[in-house]
Amino acid sequence: MVTVQLEIAPLVDAILRAGEKAADEVEVYYAESRSVGVDLKRTIIGEAHETRARGIMIRTVADGHIGTSSTDDPARWQACLDAALASGRLATAQEWHGLPGPARLPGEVPVFDPAVVPGVEAARRLAADLLLGAAEHDAGVIGGSASLSLSESVLANSSGVYYTRQKTGVGASLEAIRGTSTGYEFDRSCFLDIDAVDIGRSAAFLACHSANGKDVATGSFAVILSPVALAQLIGHVVVPALSGRNVHAGRSWLAGKIGEQCMGEVLSLYDDPHTRGLGSTLWDAEGMPARRIDFVEHGVLCGFAYDLKTAYRYGEESTASAVRSGPGGSPGIGMHNLVVDGPRGTVDEERAIWVHDLVGAHTANPVTGDFSVELSNPSWKEGGAFGEPIRSAMLAGNLFDMLAAIEVLGEVPRIIGTVILPPVRFNNQQIIGK
Amino acid sequence: MAEARYYDIRHVSGQVTHIDIDNGVIESAGTSFFDKAVVRALGETGWGVIAIDNFSGRSQAVIETVLQDALRLARATEEKVSLADAPSRILPVPAPALDPRDVSLEEKQAMLAGIEAAAKVPGVTSTRGRYTEEINSVRFEDASGHEYTYEITRCGFSVLAVARKGGFLQMGRESEHTIRGLNLAHREEMGRTAGERAVALLDAATVRGGTMDAVLDPELAGVFAHEAIGHASEGDIIKEGGSVIGGRIGEQIGNAVLTIVDDPTMPEFGFEPVDAEGVAVARTEIIKNGVLTSFLHNRETLAAVGGGAAGHARGVAGDPPIVRMSNTFIENGDATADEVIEACGTGILLRGSRGGQVDPGRGVFQFNAEYGYLVRDGELRDLVRDVSLTGEILATLHTIELCADDRRMHQGFCGKSGQSVPVSDGSPHVLLRSAVVGGHGAA
Repeated sequence: MVTVQLEIAPLVDAILRAGEKAADEVEVYYAESRSVGVDLKRTIIGEAHETRARGIMIRTVADGHIGTSSTDDPARWQACLDAALASGRLATAQEWHGLPGPARLPGEVPVFDPAVVPGVEAARRLAADLLLGAAEHDAGVIGGSASLSLSESVLANSSGVYYTRQKTGVGASLEAIRGTSTGYEFDRSCFLDIDAVDIGRSAAFLACHSANGKDVATGSFAVILSPVALAQLIGHVVVPALSGRNVHAGRSWLAGKIGEQCMGEVLSLYDDPHTRGLGSTLWDAEGMPARRIDFVEHGVLCGFAYDLKTAYRYGEESTASAVRSGPGGSPGIGMHNLVVDGPRGTVDEERAIWVHDLVGAHTANPVTGDFSVELSNPSWKEGGAFGEPIRSAMLAGNLFDMLAAIEVLGEVPRIIGTVILPPVRFNNQQIIGK
Repeated sequence: MAEARYYDIRHVSGQVTHIDIDNGVIESAGTSFFDKAVVRALGETGWGVIAIDNFSGRSQAVIETVLQDALRLARATEEKVSLADAPSRILPVPAPALDPRDVSLEEKQAMLAGIEAAAKVPGVTSTRGRYTEEINSVRFEDASGHEYTYEITRCGFSVLAVARKGGFLQMGRESEHTIRGLNLAHREEMGRTAGERAVALLDAATVRGGTMDAVLDPELAGVFAHEAIGHASEGDIIKEGGSVIGGRIGEQIGNAVLTIVDDPTMPEFGFEPVDAEGVAVARTEIIKNGVLTSFLHNRETLAAVGGGAAGHARGVAGDPPIVRMSNTFIENGDATADEVIEACGTGILLRGSRGGQVDPGRGVFQFNAEYGYLVRDGELRDLVRDVSLTGEILATLHTIELCADDRRMHQGFCGKSGQSVPVSDGSPHVLLRSAVVGGHGAA
């Protein structure tokens, strides 16, 4: 590293001491990371890259005024602290009952793998595996990427919290093409356990299988959404609807429905920060001990996600749902590992349209759940096997209606960002064909 | 250690200010700071790239070490990268009418609060106003001795209204972003428009999806230009074989009424005074009178592919430059907007945008309108909501039959390879025959 290694603990301590003189409470988050990766241009490596990043996020609370600021220059922490205090003076004062103190947090969460050492050779091996897998099908490679990362972070506050964490990451992706049929696959893990050969193989299979697809008529069909497809819709529609802030601000379809059967009986949704996932953690972004939160049990809505700020304001309890999603990396409400769970069955025994991915999932209406999107790699599936591919089709619907009428959840869950979910089968969905 | 065949350093420092007002409460407001550089070196084969933060004040010795690290990374590459020659110069950054730094955060907050409050028309139950301001100080230097420094300030606001009737919700949203200085003063009508739309959509029907003739308003047709042709013309995608329009320069790929341009020199939200490789920016006609004329290139993709001009490399602070759009638009035709709607006859008028996406290798795009109207006998009828449009690039460009003369630009952010850059898209009203419209209603 060419960066000047700072002593982190004294730096954090200096910020806390200076902050306490000017505010009631101070919180400091420090993070440092290094990642190394390679990019495939078709089947050869065109670029190797390394990122070295650091950042400090300071939050101050004075008489219920919450201020935040961040900088990637630790030497400028005093200016950052001043900006946080100025930010607080502008924000509307609110009910506030203090940052958390230190808690006994037993055990560890699975986010660090000593075998993950960011380096160009390790990235090249992953890229070679991607190509090995892709070569099993008769498709061309457009590009791909492989990277490894290591990060260290500290969360400290003026109530005595000082938590440190090391986290590793491995990611790989490949995009294949045959004629004008494309296939994209990826995976990401905190561990060196991703199967790059399988990622390459899957992407190339998708490109080949979808070539020469046939048209489908407009009509009502059973549809299987893969974890990749469904995770996008859930991320754009359900995750914001579960945010306590959106609920109290009148922007959530789920507001006022606690205790109601909002979704299918087979469906449960919970955040499990202790399970293996990309967001696994023992504490949330405000230092609250993270725990399992049940949002939907057997289709019945039973709770929303709160951070301290929203909980204090509305007389609720924090669910330790703060993540670094706010401006400048400040805490905001989010998910650690949102698990989509329920009794499992077979999704593709009876004939249905299987959907690998969606084009335009982010255009779903986040308030109402209405969407209409183009399908990527749609294909008939029956008896557990791929049937004839479909050339082009749209799926139009309302995600909340769909989740209320789930047919069955598939067997094998997959980690997609901060959502862990299996493929899911929905009957009677509107498909717009060509 | 071998010398680099080429290197460049792009250092961006600055600050981001935001204000977030939620139902009259100032949720948060304030400023954060950043300071990042990207150092690229071309070894015997391809690129070694190092992104490093806190770059200000680094000594020449440290910079030299980072360059050598980049060159070491480059040794892992296999692709023999060549760079095309390209003119290098910088344009002046248009001066803002009112520099946002000359207005206090308290005054900005008061103006934003006025816009947010105006959204609370009867029926609206939730409002939110957001302001962002980003100041970038850019310094570029390369191995050929080119050196540029400039500063650019981008700012703007959005206002969201949610209306409720029983358990039924709808939303309306308006936004405007600019490089021309603070735009918050006397904009309460934007709040009202968002509020009134949210309320009106409570009574809107959903459309039954299918094939129909469609008129796109300037905002949505701009997104169409961006998604349906802009991305597919990006040189890096062409180079890797990931675009259906690769190898088609000189072909008639669209209706003769269609001219589509990307122009980073326009003083709009996607303006760049010089590209991220130090190359002079210029207007590029991607399609002229229906004929594919140019791809958008950086120096590497121009050398590898040809057909077009470099000057389209952009990078956000701390990320390497890649080929991007800037201000992308469909040129005016000679019809009026009313004539376009009349020519539609029976179909649908789609307005506003909730964004879109394209798979350029497959040649399929999707984008979503905020709302629309059914058109019968050339006249606007029922209001409809949640309508989207999909199509195949090569087929759809031929189906644009008519362009009006009322082009307007709209601002947004475009994501690619994890980087989100400010862009603007625009168009006059256009008529698409046999468009595939998505919706799940019965209207």
